Amino acid sequence: MIPLELYILLASIMFTIGLYGLITQKNGVKLMMCIELLLNSANINLVAFSAYQPNMNGQVFALFSIALAAAEAGVGFAILIALYRLYGTIDLDNINTMRW
Amino acid sequence: MISNALSLMILLPLLGAIVSFFVGTKAKFVALIASLAPLVLSLQMYMEFDKSSTMMQFVESYNWVPSIGVKYTLGVDGIGFPLVLLSTIVTVLVIIYSWGETKKPNQYFALLLLNEVGVLGVFTALDFFLFYIFWEIVLIPMFFLIGSWGGPRKDYAAIKFFIYTHVASLVMLLAIFALYFTYQLPDGSRTFDMLTLLKATQNPEIFPPALLNIIFAGLLLGFLVKMPAFPFHTWLPDAHVEAPTAGSVVLAALLLKMGGYGLFRIIVPMLPSVDKIFVTIIAIIAVLSIVYGAFLALAQKDIKKLVAYSSVSHMGFVTLGAVALVPLSIQGAMFQQFSHGIITCVLFMSAGTIQHVVGTRIIADLGGLADRMPKFAVIMMAGFMASLGLPGMSGFVAEFMTLTGAYATLPVYVMIVVFLSIVITAAYHLWAMQKAMFGPILRKYMDVHDPHAYELFSMSMIILLTLLFGLQPGLMTDMMGTAANQLLQPVVTLSEMGVI
Amino acid sequence: MYSDLAYLIVGLPVLAFVLCLFFGWHLPRGGGFITVLATLGAFIISFGIFQEIYPGDIVHQSMHWFGDFNVGILIDPLSLIMLLMVSLVVTLIHIYGNGYMNGDPGAARYFAEAALFSAAMLGLVYADNLLQLFIFWELVGLCSYLLIGFWYRKPSAAAAAKKAFLTTRVGDVMFLAAIIVLYNNLVNLNITLNPGEYLLQFPVIYAHIAEIPPDQLTLIALGLLGGAVGKSGQFPLHVWLPDAMEGPTTVSAMIHAATMVTAGVFLVARMFPLFYAAPHGLTAVAAVGAFTALFAATMGLTAFDIKRVLAFSTVSQLGFMMAGLGVGAAVGAFAVGVSMFHLIGHSFFKALLFLCAGSVIHAVNTNDMREMGGVGKYMKWTMYTMLIGSLSLAGFPLFTGFFSKDEIIMIAYEYGIAINFLPYIFLILAAVLTAIYTFRMWFSVFTGKERSNYGKHESPWVMLGPLVILAIFAFAFGFAAQHDFYNYLDSNFEHYDMDFVELGIIGGHALIEEHGAAAEEGEHASAEEGHGAAAEGEGSHAIPLHIQLLPYIVALGGILIAALFYWDRVKKFDPSQVTGDKDPIRKMLLKGYYQHEIMTGWICEGIVYGTALISNTIDIKIVDGWLNWLSAWVMGFAGHVRKVQTGVVQNYVTALMLGIVVLVIAIAAISLAMEVGLI
Repeated sequence: MIPLELYILLASIMFTIGLYGLITQKNGVKLMMCIELLLNSANINLVAFSAYQPNMNGQVFALFSIALAAAEAGVGFAILIALYRLYGTIDLDNINTMRW
Repeated sequence: MISNALSLMILLPLLGAIVSFFVGTKAKFVALIASLAPLVLSLQMYMEFDKSSTMMQFVESYNWVPSIGVKYTLGVDGIGFPLVLLSTIVTVLVIIYSWGETKKPNQYFALLLLNEVGVLGVFTALDFFLFYIFWEIVLIPMFFLIGSWGGPRKDYAAIKFFIYTHVASLVMLLAIFALYFTYQLPDGSRTFDMLTLLKATQNPEIFPPALLNIIFAGLLLGFLVKMPAFPFHTWLPDAHVEAPTAGSVVLAALLLKMGGYGLFRIIVPMLPSVDKIFVTIIAIIAVLSIVYGAFLALAQKDIKKLVAYSSVSHMGFVTLGAVALVPLSIQGAMFQQFSHGIITCVLFMSAGTIQHVVGTRIIADLGGLADRMPKFAVIMMAGFMASLGLPGMSGFVAEFMTLTGAYATLPVYVMIVVFLSIVITAAYHLWAMQKAMFGPILRKYMDVHDPHAYELFSMSMIILLTLLFGLQPGLMTDMMGTAANQLLQPVVTLSEMGVI
Repeated sequence: MYSDLAYLIVGLPVLAFVLCLFFGWHLPRGGGFITVLATLGAFIISFGIFQEIYPGDIVHQSMHWFGDFNVGILIDPLSLIMLLMVSLVVTLIHIYGNGYMNGDPGAARYFAEAALFSAAMLGLVYADNLLQLFIFWELVGLCSYLLIGFWYRKPSAAAAAKKAFLTTRVGDVMFLAAIIVLYNNLVNLNITLNPGEYLLQFPVIYAHIAEIPPDQLTLIALGLLGGAVGKSGQFPLHVWLPDAMEGPTTVSAMIHAATMVTAGVFLVARMFPLFYAAPHGLTAVAAVGAFTALFAATMGLTAFDIKRVLAFSTVSQLGFMMAGLGVGAAVGAFAVGVSMFHLIGHSFFKALLFLCAGSVIHAVNTNDMREMGGVGKYMKWTMYTMLIGSLSLAGFPLFTGFFSKDEIIMIAYEYGIAINFLPYIFLILAAVLTAIYTFRMWFSVFTGKERSNYGKHESPWVMLGPLVILAIFAFAFGFAAQHDFYNYLDSNFEHYDMDFVELGIIGGHALIEEHGAAAEEGEHASAEEGHGAAAEGEGSHAIPLHIQLLPYIVALGGILIAALFYWDRVKKFDPSQVTGDKDPIRKMLLKGYYQHEIMTGWICEGIVYGTALISNTIDIKIVDGWLNWLSAWVMGFAGHVRKVQTGVVQNYVTALMLGIVVLVIAIAAISLAMEVGLI
């Protein structure tokens, strides 16, 4: 079997890439994609752990997580569309009126 | 006699406030009825009040939140009852004076009645929790009165008033909690009962001196800010000047007495148990309030601000009498509170009438008004004379008793400074009167006329009252004397008195 | 029977006050007759009481008021003579006032205030305790304020009223302080009182003066003197009296000649035992009185407003009365009788002089003597009554003023022999000046050529009647009543439980001469201690003849000097030879020794108002300032802190992540430390 550490390494690299994207990207769609990366890295972790376990808990959990990710993506894009209609752009650096 | 008279007296204005809020322009009638009812009740209680009894009277006590030791306890004795009477009388007269209010009258009268509720509660509550609730209730109607119906700088004044007194009340609350948490009843539970806690403070084993000093300082701060005493008085001029006339009257006549009441009820019993330095500090504060307030009043250009500072000065006498710890001076200080409560009504009503009829309050711009407003001039002069302590009116009796008692324990130079301030007091009152009322009538004021009948009515009632209490002070001083003697004895709790 | 009605002496004028205040506008002459009837009623009752209790009884009634204080009536010889004089003079002045105020739109208000004043003055005089006296004292001051400022539309009148009230207030505060000190001292003595007795009642005070520590007595005496100085217009609180002439002349006559200003002298007389027992108490009284007598007389020399001359004269004569009481240090309670005699006599002739002046002013329509002259041709009755008054004031032999002033000067001489001649010298000089300025006034007004065009008619009989009655008193009271008066007043303090010799010892006096009162002799013989050396037994001094003649010389000489300067018929000198407008002394006297500038300018506007302005600045900048600074600081701080909320989502995410990192590291570190054993 592929060693567990490699799976975890893969997941953490994905997580880091997603996190970096989340923090630095201006484009709202790219932000959503990075959030997906984060979620999927967690999923990889879950499935990998489940492979080394006698039961299926990890994979089941990963299924739940995917469903949640889908729902959250739907809501996120709905917000983005509403923002675009209001501001004419999805450049998140310009959408900062809810501040001091 | 009606049972639960005190609760009824507090409840009726509350109901009146709610009803008048919804009634619209007829609110003044509702408010008048709602304020006359407590007046009738308090007069009836006066008839039944036993002036030589040292026990609490008209006591009601119900369990409210037994798990934390909060009870709904009301009761009056010689300290609180004169102030109860004062509150009911002043509220009626203020409502009559405001009969012509046109801007949102339903809210206006509702707020005045709410003030009465709060003030009556403070003077009758015998449980610290209840006391604090009523203490804070008063802030809200006054804030709105100043903030909505006030003068040019009303927002600043309202916020300043609210935050300043509220912060001081919070400090007082901390002290109350300290009292609450330190004392335990024999069965392990705690209580907020005022007299029980005060009695406990006189026991150095329960309350070690260091702790007691801190608690005392906290309570003292709360009351000094309310009175107001120098150097915590600066909220008063702004609040008074910007408030509408009725608001100013209620503020000066009732709210300031809350501080004085706390002084007598809570501070004076604790004074013998705390560090002697506090007596010196409070005495210095009192003298400075009297003198500094008098000089400040002399420097004012606005007649309402002048009257506001005169309130600071007069309340200084209350502090002075309280801290001298002699029965005559305490009695005099209580009477000074009562007397000032009555007299200050006519002073602020005069200032309000001048503003209303003439259009300006700046003394230098006034002149010769007595020519066109003769009835008002007579009343205003009577009021100003009463305020400067003319014998025949209540102010003189109060000042005389306070000073005579205070001479026994306070050093001579204190008295000399106070006497100087009496002359200054006469000076600014007369100067304001003379400039405003006498002299030739200015051409721009040729059209002014005497104020409305309802304004004259309330003001003349005040003058009659101050004459009444000046010629027959015994009506009030008897019960105050009993209370003053009682204050210098160890505290007796309600259960020991047998009234619960 | 009349004693039961004693409360009506105050009650009737109060009733008159209420009636005039509310109904006076509807009545003819503004309700003046009500006031006259009221004070007349008070006089009748006083006279009735006089018949009942002369010469040996007193009336004492009292009732509990509040706390430890009472209200009461005490009619002893001292208060009885004052009651009679006050009610009589005030009634006459009210009758005169009916004529004088005829046509004035504020007449009802005048009579109401005058009635209130009458009530207050009468109440003051027969008060049975010191607090009650003070209360009526202040009420009298209030009425004075109201009446001086009667024509309130005149700014000068309103200002004069304010000045009067404030100046007397300074004195009143000292009086109040004295009462408070006295009360506390009495409390400290732990006296057992009989039921119905109260600490501040005069009989109680008299009985316990000897037990009070002497330094406290001096303090009390000085405080009481302060009150008297204010009310009686002695230096330095005399500045309000000349300005008080802004009021109607009847007010000047009533309040500032006959009654209110005498209240100060009355107070010292009433509390004479305390002054006697206080070390240096009477010295202060004599000093103030003698100085004022001369001081005011000098200012009367240059005034050209007829009422101002009379005002200064009043101040000066009150100084005589004070000095008369003060030299009681040498002669004991006899001084009270002497001073009070001058007080009563002075009330008559000064009221007469003021009313005559009012009559002249009413006709001539000006106060300025420079515009008068030759008025005598048109106003014969006024001229002759004023002549009688002036002769009395100057101390012309046989007139009232001569007897009373002479006696004061005599006892001042005895004081001089025993202690100090300064009062005597001052009083003699003042007497000379009195004669001079009085007749300067009379000659300038009534004789000579008319200096301006004025109205020429005599006053109506409602005004002349009182003048005549007062003139009779001003002439005859002196020789008719002198001895009975002294005897009656000497018995005043015998009604009370006190020993003058004992008091004298406390006060450090040596009783030089015995007059009249028999009681003193008995106690003298029994006194063993005392000031061994001086006093007892020295007997009466024979006063040298030239000293006895001096008052005659002074009076006649003064009138002569005035005649030489001002009476056209014998005029030898012209005033302009002695002084002119550029003369600095004359300027100083005209300006009243610059007191207005010093007191109003420097002290009031400078020091007092300056302190007020400084306090105001302190209050705004510092006491309020720190508060506003605090709130500004809090708002500023909040302003900085809230910049964390940038509104940019990524920033929030970054913060979140950093927080998690910090948290993880912290947990790891803590668990590591716990494992290793550090925590």
